Amino acid sequence: MLLAALLLVPAAAGLACLPLRSHRLMAALVVATFGTTLALGVGLLHAVLARGVVTEFHEFLSADALSAWMVLLISIVSLATSLYAGRYFERDLAAGSVTPGRVREFYVLTPLFAASMFLVVLVNSVGVMWFAVETTALTSVLLVALYNRQTSLEAAWKYIILGSLGLALALFGSVFLYAAAVGPHATGRLPSFNWSHLMTIADQLDPRLVRLAFVLALVGYGTKAGLAPMHTWLPDAHSEAPSPTSAMLSGVSLKVALYALLRFHVLSTACLGTAFSRDLLLGFGLFSMFLAAPFILVQRNLKRMLAYSSLEHVGLICTGIGLNTPVTIFGALLHMGYHALTKPVLFFAAGNIHQTYHTLDFRRIGPGLGKTLPVTALLFGLAAVAAAGLPPFGLFYSELTVISGGIAAHRTGISILMLVALIASFCGILQQLTRILLGAPATNRPLASRPGEGVPAMALLLGSLLIFSLWLPASVQKLLHQAAGIIGGGA
Amino acid sequence: MNPAISTDIAAQLIALLAVLMLVVQLLLVVQRMLLTSIRLFAVQSMFLAGIAAVVAFFHGAMHVYIVAGLTFIGKVMFLPWLLDRQVRRMRIGQEIEPLVNFPTSMLTCGGLTLLGYIVARPFTSLERLGNNTLAVAITLVLTGIFLMFNRRKAITQVLALLTVENGVMLAAVALTTYGMPLVVELGIFFDVLVAVMVLAILVYRIRESFDSMDVGKLTQLKG
Amino acid sequence: MSSTAFDFVLQTALLLGLAPLVSGCIKNWKAKLQNRRGPPVWQVYRDIGKFLRKDMVVSEHASWVFSYAPYVVFISALLAGLMVPMVSTQAPLSLFGGVLALVGLLALGRFFLALGGLDPASAFGGMGSSREMTIAAIAEPALMLAIFTVALAAGSTDLSHIVQATLGPAWSLLNPRHVLAFAALFIVLLAETGRIPVDNPATHLELTMIHEAMLLEYSGRYLALMEWGASIKQLVLMTLLVNVFFPIGLAADASPAALGLGLLSYLARLSLVAGVVVLVETANAKLRLFRVPDLLSAAFVLASLALFSTFLFQ
Repeated sequence: MLLAALLLVPAAAGLACLPLRSHRLMAALVVATFGTTLALGVGLLHAVLARGVVTEFHEFLSADALSAWMVLLISIVSLATSLYAGRYFERDLAAGSVTPGRVREFYVLTPLFAASMFLVVLVNSVGVMWFAVETTALTSVLLVALYNRQTSLEAAWKYIILGSLGLALALFGSVFLYAAAVGPHATGRLPSFNWSHLMTIADQLDPRLVRLAFVLALVGYGTKAGLAPMHTWLPDAHSEAPSPTSAMLSGVSLKVALYALLRFHVLSTACLGTAFSRDLLLGFGLFSMFLAAPFILVQRNLKRMLAYSSLEHVGLICTGIGLNTPVTIFGALLHMGYHALTKPVLFFAAGNIHQTYHTLDFRRIGPGLGKTLPVTALLFGLAAVAAAGLPPFGLFYSELTVISGGIAAHRTGISILMLVALIASFCGILQQLTRILLGAPATNRPLASRPGEGVPAMALLLGSLLIFSLWLPASVQKLLHQAAGIIGGGA
Repeated sequence: MNPAISTDIAAQLIALLAVLMLVVQLLLVVQRMLLTSIRLFAVQSMFLAGIAAVVAFFHGAMHVYIVAGLTFIGKVMFLPWLLDRQVRRMRIGQEIEPLVNFPTSMLTCGGLTLLGYIVARPFTSLERLGNNTLAVAITLVLTGIFLMFNRRKAITQVLALLTVENGVMLAAVALTTYGMPLVVELGIFFDVLVAVMVLAILVYRIRESFDSMDVGKLTQLKG
Repeated sequence: MSSTAFDFVLQTALLLGLAPLVSGCIKNWKAKLQNRRGPPVWQVYRDIGKFLRKDMVVSEHASWVFSYAPYVVFISALLAGLMVPMVSTQAPLSLFGGVLALVGLLALGRFFLALGGLDPASAFGGMGSSREMTIAAIAEPALMLAIFTVALAAGSTDLSHIVQATLGPAWSLLNPRHVLAFAALFIVLLAETGRIPVDNPATHLELTMIHEAMLLEYSGRYLALMEWGASIKQLVLMTLLVNVFFPIGLAADASPAALGLGLLSYLARLSLVAGVVVLVETANAKLRLFRVPDLLSAAFVLASLALFSTFLFQ
């Protein structure tokens, strides 16, 4: 009942928040929920390590190493988000920038959002997976529009329209895949649409249909994963959503869409036996990295800069998988994890900054953040250094793994390209940081009262980032190797 | 009736209904009136439901009847009613201004139709129903995307999205005869309904906040 | 051979006799539908008869074109009509190229109609002519595409062959190319016969009229020929619609029984189309002139789609 519990607990928690009146109670409930899912996730990790694949309800739900890894990421980011959200919305309520009804909306939708993400990674049927990804979009779009400002409505509109359009194409891709599964002789008995079943008959599928299915899935799920050039909604949605939601979107939602794409990738590799899907992933990944770097350099809005940095990291993960050696895939998966631990911290800090300065514009935040908000500034600086890819943080190691794996696989050109893009964005982030972190604050600026800064959430993430950077538990390593084996299957 | 003729009739009917869907799509592209557009979408969905019903009848597949029924209830009755009510309640101006003028839109759609046929070409051997229903489906998707970028009113973008979805469902029937497993079909149905309701909420809020439904005004976020 | 001559006479008589009746019926039914009493169905005959008896007034600026135009309009419409199978599957006349000649004849008639409008140099005539040609420039390609679609399917441009090839089980007529071409041709019919979304046959309002504007300078015999020619053209187009697309019950041989049955079925289908025209005219308002190309380009696209699908829906 492990998998069912993972779905039901957050879904039930979301619904339970509907009749509640006290925000504090809702926050506690949600924190407890994600604590539970984290524990369940760890349980799943061991179950998967012991049994390989965990299935429930006649294989309707099924979890392998890759799913288990995603479950862990979703749980930990959601937990941190819910820890941070309580204080965040208290301050927002006090400042009057949000109504109590909207806060309840957040506590109802966030667990549902997480539940739909769990469904994406746990369900076996490719069709239901599409349903789940669409549900993640539907549950998160109202969160993006939570503040009801003109800009946030605009961001939400772009998000839902582009996302739905992309997902319609992904559904088209799923239809083609199912047509391949039905094969040339349709009978009244519908064949199974389960991923596990499709993998067993992968070599009998019509390669033309599978190729078309993958291209459509790439465009469709790629839109949701924020791959360039379908990323245009991403900076808007990330910058306009409340910071906790930005953290969820950037920390896991992008990767969950990527996960859906990876399932298609694995299948098409198994069917086509060629580098078709790999090269496409490689191309889109590199393009995203190169597109992100200049935007990071010239960006004036803090959260938009963070969003472009997410684009960069998603590009890196994609490229790592596209390189398709066990080492690079392992690196890419590891990178997913480290990024999930880092990016939310940055968004939380951005939330604190926004509530203090009422702006996200670098020029108006100005120098001297270190003096005004010392704790936030410290954690923000550390996380930013991590995101830029400096040791001792894990992102440095995972990036190094991907690049060196590329070189070892004699794809030196691609590795050098990645390195160039990484260095460019590294410079961008550091240059932007120095503009706000250090120096003396401008005097006589009216500031909101010093907020409680949501330190526990940030410390939780940064602490685990540091720990896992220096010491990766053997069980996690084994899980990642298994997951890399699933993705790299044919190689 | 002997089976050869009955499959022939089925193929004929499906091809006809598919082409009618395409015709309705082209009418949508040149339609200026918002309420008429909504009705056109309902008509298009009705043809889709008709195709599902024809498949169910001639192939004796019970679960396709359910799909046909759901399509009818959801897309022919409920969604048009919802959008209609929304439009009336908000007293939105009736005329829709396209970005590209009508003859050019028509020509573009003609081109997209050709493109659809070219894309579908390699797959004609895989179709089991009607001839080239897949081409129509791809064309619906392509023109739907065009429609989305060509119109500025929020509600028309929703309609465009729904026509894209109609195209995908048509492809599902064309390529696999019996559609997808029921649980998937139900999921899609549910998602589409919720998506439109969420979109309706957003449209309402945009209308409240911008005092307009013109998506062209959503241009504050850049870079 | 004798049967051909008989066909010839029969069809000519039918065209001449039936055309004003169809116009009259449409006028009458339209009035009934709008809760008016309306003119009797025979009114058009009376009008033509009256025009024939009246003297003519011809502008002193008019050249020979003005006086030749009515004959050309009338005869070209009649010839076109003889090429379309009406009661039996065999049309009495088959000029070179079949449908090409048919479209050519219709174009010839329109050309002279427009010239006749221009010739007396009255302001309204010129305006009507220019409008007519604008509309024709889009309507004609749509007409040709629609007819070519069926011609392609039949593998012949001869209308009799087309009709014979189309004969078959009724459900096979419901194929996409057929339906699309039919829809395109129907819109063309509305445009070419000056029906309501395009032109209003019942008004002489200078801002909107098209066909009537070209006829303003005509009177007496010429006007009779023009009106008669116009109604024959309308009948020809309607016959095209009902016989090429739904040739149900057409007489396959020359036996009286088959011919009688063919005539009945023809009249039934004809009145059906006339009824639809009446409905369209009643339910719609006239389009602004600048919007007419939108409607006609829709017909054009429909016809092109029909042509596409001939190749692609195989």
